[in-house]
Amino acid sequence: MPHHPDYQKWEALATKLMKGKPFSSLQWQTPEGISIKPLYTAEDLEGLDNVNSLPGLPPYVRGPVATMYAGRPWTIRQYAGFSTARESNEFYRKALAAGQKGLSVAFDLATHRGYDSDHPRVTGDVGKAGVAIDSVEDMKILFDEIPLDQMSVSMTMNGAVIPILASYIVAAEEQGVSHEKLTGTIQNDILKEYLTRNTFIYPPGPSMRIVADIIGFCSKNMPRYNTISISGYHMMEAGANSVLQVAFTMADGLEYVRTALRAGMNIDEFAPRLSFFFGIGMNFFMDIAMLRAARFLWHRLLQQFEPKDPRSSILRTHCQTSGWSLTQQDPYNNIIRTTLEALTSVLGGTQSLHTNSFDEAIGLPTDFSARIARNTQIIIQEESEICHVIDPLGGSYYVESLTNSIINEAQKIIDEVESLGGMAKAIESGMPKMRIEESAARKQARIDQGLDVIVGVNKYQLKDEKIDFEIREVPASVRDEQVDRLRRIRGTRDQAAVDRALAELTKAAEDGGNLLAAALPAIRARATVGEVSDAMEKVFGRFVSTTRCISGAYASEFQATSETLAQLRGRTEAFLQGNGRRPRMLVTKMGQDGHDRGIKVIASAYADLGFDIDIGPLFQTPQEAAKMAIENDVHVVGASSLTAGHKTLVPALVEELKKQGGEDILVVAGGIIPPVDYDYLYERGVKAVFGPGTSVIDSANRTLDLIEKHLGPTA
Amino acid sequence: MQKDPDYYIQGVLDANRLMLSRTITLVESSLPAHQELAATIIERLLPHSGNSVRLGITGVPGAGKSTFIDSFGTLLTELGHRVAVLAIDPSSSRSGGSVLGDKTRMIQLAASEKAFIRPSPTGGTLGGVARKTRESMLVCEAAGFDVIIIETVGVGQSETAVASMVDFFLVLMIAGAGDELQGIKKGILEVADAIVINKADGDNVQRAELARRQYETALHLLTPDNPLWSPPVLTCSALEASGLLDIWQTVTKHRRIMTDSGDLTRRRARQSVDWLHHLLSEGLRSWFYNHPAVRDYLPNLLRDVEKQSLSPAAAASMLLQKIYR
Ligand code: B12
Ligand SMILES: Nc1nc2c(ncn2[C@@H]2O[C@H](COP(=O)(O)OP(=O)(O)OP(=O)(O)O)[C@@H](O)[C@H]2O)c(=O)[nH]1
Ligand SMILES: [Mg+2]
Repeated sequence: MPHHPDYQKWEALATKLMKGKPFSSLQWQTPEGISIKPLYTAEDLEGLDNVNSLPGLPPYVRGPVATMYAGRPWTIRQYAGFSTARESNEFYRKALAAGQKGLSVAFDLATHRGYDSDHPRVTGDVGKAGVAIDSVEDMKILFDEIPLDQMSVSMTMNGAVIPILASYIVAAEEQGVSHEKLTGTIQNDILKEYLTRNTFIYPPGPSMRIVADIIGFCSKNMPRYNTISISGYHMMEAGANSVLQVAFTMADGLEYVRTALRAGMNIDEFAPRLSFFFGIGMNFFMDIAMLRAARFLWHRLLQQFEPKDPRSSILRTHCQTSGWSLTQQDPYNNIIRTTLEALTSVLGGTQSLHTNSFDEAIGLPTDFSARIARNTQIIIQEESEICHVIDPLGGSYYVESLTNSIINEAQKIIDEVESLGGMAKAIESGMPKMRIEESAARKQARIDQGLDVIVGVNKYQLKDEKIDFEIREVPASVRDEQVDRLRRIRGTRDQAAVDRALAELTKAAEDGGNLLAAALPAIRARATVGEVSDAMEKVFGRFVSTTRCISGAYASEFQATSETLAQLRGRTEAFLQGNGRRPRMLVTKMGQDGHDRGIKVIASAYADLGFDIDIGPLFQTPQEAAKMAIENDVHVVGASSLTAGHKTLVPALVEELKKQGGEDILVVAGGIIPPVDYDYLYERGVKAVFGPGTSVIDSANRTLDLIEKHLGPTA
Repeated sequence: MQKDPDYYIQGVLDANRLMLSRTITLVESSLPAHQELAATIIERLLPHSGNSVRLGITGVPGAGKSTFIDSFGTLLTELGHRVAVLAIDPSSSRSGGSVLGDKTRMIQLAASEKAFIRPSPTGGTLGGVARKTRESMLVCEAAGFDVIIIETVGVGQSETAVASMVDFFLVLMIAGAGDELQGIKKGILEVADAIVINKADGDNVQRAELARRQYETALHLLTPDNPLWSPPVLTCSALEASGLLDIWQTVTKHRRIMTDSGDLTRRRARQSVDWLHHLLSEGLRSWFYNHPAVRDYLPNLLRDVEKQSLSPAAAASMLLQKIYR
C-alpha cells in the first residue's frame, strides 16, 4: 500500500463517497489487459526505467529531437488521393496553399495491386479509393507545379512499390531534380500487408527482397529519403489494441533490420532512415503512453545490433488519428473525436500527423471536410500554445506508469514472436492476424452490448439521420480516361526499348540484381506500372493469401446468461429444426477491396450465433462469388464493400447469380455505402444494406427474417 | 422447394451444377421428408454412379490438405478429369454454427469449370457425416465427376468413416520436430494407401526427406493389408505444386493393380457390406432409443445404476427383456 502520509485519509474519504460500493470497483481493466487504478502517486514512479530522461537523448521516451515542438512543430501531412492525377494535383496544391506542410499520396487499389487501369480485374476500382497511376506520365501530372526538391512526399505504396517509386524518381528527374535531393517516405512495409492491409502482390520471400533492394538503392542514392515506414496504424484499424499494435510493429521492424543486415548492409547505413507510423485511438492516455513506450522499446531492441550512430536507434514517427473510431451516425461528432486523437498524438510526441475528416465513414474527404481536418491541427499548433513545452506529461504518475506497463506487456508479445522465429515466420503461422481479429471481434461484441459507448451509434442515437453536406463521388468515367491515356502511351512509345527494359528487369528478378535500379530504365521508356509489375511476377508469382477465421471470441464477450445471445441461437436452432439445416451465408469481398475486418467480424460472430458461414477468398469476381454461392447452396450472399465498388460489383453479383441459375439466393450488402445509393442497390435486387455501425445482432436478425420470408412457411 | 425426384435426378444427370448442389443439400438435410426424397433420388442415381476414382485425404489441422487439393485437383483438371471435392469442416459445437474455410484455400480449383467443391459442416454428428458424404459422393459420380476427393481432418473419428468409403486413402503429413507420429492416430497409418509428406519446399526440403525415410521405416514394420500393395511414402509441395504427378501416378498404379486383381471390386463390395451393417446398427440404435419402453424405463434405470443400487448388467438385461416382450 502506498506510503504517502495522507494516503489512508484519502482512501477513507473516497470510500465514503462510494456509498457502499467496493473500492476495487474503481479499477478498470483495459482491452490490453492492463489494470488501471483511480489514482496514481509518486510511488508509482519508483524503479521505472522510463522516467527521468531528456528529449533527444536515450532512451528517447521524451522525444526523438532535443527541441521538439518548441523548436519546430510537427509536420501537418494529410493523406489524400482520388480519381485522376490531374484532380489530385489540384487538391494537393489547394491544401498546400491553405497551410498543409507535406504531401501524402493515396493510390487507388488497382495501382496498389500492380494492375493497369484496363485490367479486367479492376473494373470497379479505378480511381475510387485513391489516385490512379498507370505510368510516369500520370506521376508527372500528379506533381505538376510541385517542386520535388522542396516538397517532402510520403507515398503509401507497398505491393507495387518498385514501379511507383521508380515513377516518382523518374518524374523528379524530368523536373530536373536529382536523386539525392528527394525527401519523403515510401511505406514499403510489406509484412503488415500480409497481416492487415492486403495489398501484397508477390509471396513474402521475393517481397522481402524488394524491401532490401529499396533500402539498398536509397541508402546509396537518396540519403534524405525514408526507405520504409514501419506501420502499426493498419493493425490498429484492423482491430489491434495498443499493446498489440506496438508489439507487432516493433517485431516487424526487427525483421526488416535483419533483412537489411542479411543483404550485407551495415546497421548505421540504413537504420537512421527507418521511420514509423502509428494509429491513435480514443483511449487518450493509453496512446500517449504507447508512443513513449515505442521509442523506449525501439532504442532498447536495437542495441543487439550494436549501432555506433545514435540516430540508428531513434524512433521517428508519423501518426494518423483512427478512422475506425469515426461514425456514419451524427458525423459532426467525428470532429471532436479527431481533435482528441490529434491531441494524443501531439502529447505523445509525433513528428508528423494526419487528422481524419468527419465524413470518414461515408466517403473520401471533400474540400470542406478536408479543410476542417487540416484546421484541427493548425488550431492546435497556432492557437492552443501547446507547442512551447516539450513532453508536458513527462513525470506524470499515471502516464509514466502506463508507459511502463505497455513496455512490459509489449515485450512479452515481442518475445513470443521472436520465439516463433521472427515476424515473417509468425505471420506464416497466423498468430498475429488471429490475435488482431480476436481483438476486433471482442470489440464488436462490447459495442453491440453497449458496454463500450459510441455516441450516436449505441447511445444518444438520432431519430433522423440527415446528411447535409456534400459527399465525394468518383465517376466511373475516370476509368475510361485512364484507359484512353494508356492506349495513347502504348501507341507512342518505342516498344522495342520497352520490351528490352522489361526483359532486363525480369532478368534482374531471376539473377538477384537490384530491382529498383533495374526498373528505372523501363519506367523512363514509358513501361506502365502493370507491365513493370508483371515483369517481376513472371519470376515471383502472385501471392494467394490463406483465409483463417477465429471462432468463439464474439460470443465469449457476452455473459453466459445473455438473452440476446440466447434469443438468436434459439432462432438459428429453430431454423435448423424447420429446414433441416442451419441458415447458410456466403460472405464475399469482390474487386481489389482489402478491408476484411468487417467481414471477419461478421463471419465469426454469425458462426457464434448459429449460422453456417462460407468465406470467399479476397479479390473475388462477381462470377466466382456466384459460382461459390451456388455450389455451397447458401441461402444468402453477403457482399462487403468499402472502397466504392458497390454500384458496379454488387449488381453484377445479382446478375451472375441469375445467369448461373441461382436467382433465389438472396443478396445483402454491407460496408461503406452512402445512404443515397441504397435505392440504387434495392432496385437492382439487393435485399438489405447494412451500413457502418450496424449491430451484428441486428443484421443477423434481419438477415434471418429475410431468409425465412423468402423460404415461406416450413413443414 | 421442389418435391419431384425427377426434377433433381434429371438435373444431376445433365450435370447441372445448381441441381447437383441442391441435391446434396437434400442429402445433408436432417428433415425426414428431405431424407426420404433424397433416398429415392439416390436409389435411382445409383446405376449411374460408381465410375470414379474415390480419394480420401486426411491429415492433422494445417497439414495443407486444402492447399494440396487445390493444386492436385487443378493438375487433374488439366489432365482432363472432372473433379468433385467434398470437404468436411468440423463445426463449432457450442452454437452449432461454423465457418467453412477450406474452400478459400482452393481458389484456383474453385474457379475451374471442371471442378465442383462442396464444404459441409459436420453439424456435430459423426454418423451423419459418413452418411451424407457417402451419398453426396454417389450424386457427384452420377453428375459425371470421375475423381471424387474427400477432405477430412485427421484428429476426430470422421477419417475412419471416410477411409471406409474410398478407393484410395491418402494421409498427408508434415515434417515436424521430434515425434513424427504426434497428433495423428497411429491407426490411420494402418489404413493408409499412401503417405505424403507435404511442404517439401524452401528450407524444409531436407526435413521432409528425412521424415519420408522415417515413415518408410515405420511402415515397413506393419504388415500390409494387401500383399499386392505396400503403401509408399512420397513428398510434395502443395504450395509449389511439385511432386503431384508422382502422387497421381501412384493412385493410378494402385487402381490398375487393384482392378486387375479384382481387389477394387472386392473392396467396394466389402465397403457396401460394412455400410449395411453400419446402417443397421444405426437404425437399431435409433429405433431402440425411441422405443416407448426405453423412454419410460431408461431414466429410472440410469438413476439406479448411478446410485449403485443396480448393476449395469442387470439394468441392461431388464430393459432388453422389456423390449423382447
Ligand atoms: C479499418 C479501415 C482500414 C484498414 C483495414 C484493415 C482491415 N484489414 O480491414 C486499413 C488501415 C488497412 C485501411 C486501408 C485502406 N483504406 Co480504409 N478504412 C478503414 C475504416 C477506418 C474502418 C473500416 C472498418 O473496418 N470498420 C469496422 C467494421 C467492423 O465495419 P464495416 O466493415 O463497415 O462492417 C460493419 C457494417 O458495415 C456491416 N457490414 C459490412 N459488411 C457486411 C457484410 C454482411 C454480410 C453484413 C451482414 C454486414 C456487413 O456490419 C459490420 C458491423 O457493423 C474505414 C472508414 C470507416 N470509419 O468506416 C476506412 C475506409 C473504408 N478506407 C478507405 C480507403 C480509401 C482505404 C485505402 C484504399 C487507402 C489507400 N488509398 O491506400 C487503404 C487500402 C486498403 C485495401 N487494401 O483495400 C476509405 C474508402 C473510401 C470510399 N469508399 O470511397 C474509407 C471509407 C475511409 C475514407 N473515408 O477515406 N483501411
Ligand atoms: N510451405 C508450404 N506451406 C504450405 C503447403 N501447403 C500448405 N501450406 C500452408 O499451410 C497452411 C495450412 O494449409 P491448409 O491447406 O489450410 O491446411 P489443412 O490441412 O487443409 O488445414 P485444416 O483444413 O484447417 O485442417 C497454410 O498457411 C498453407 O499456405 C506447402 O506445400 N508448403
Ligand atoms: Mg483444410
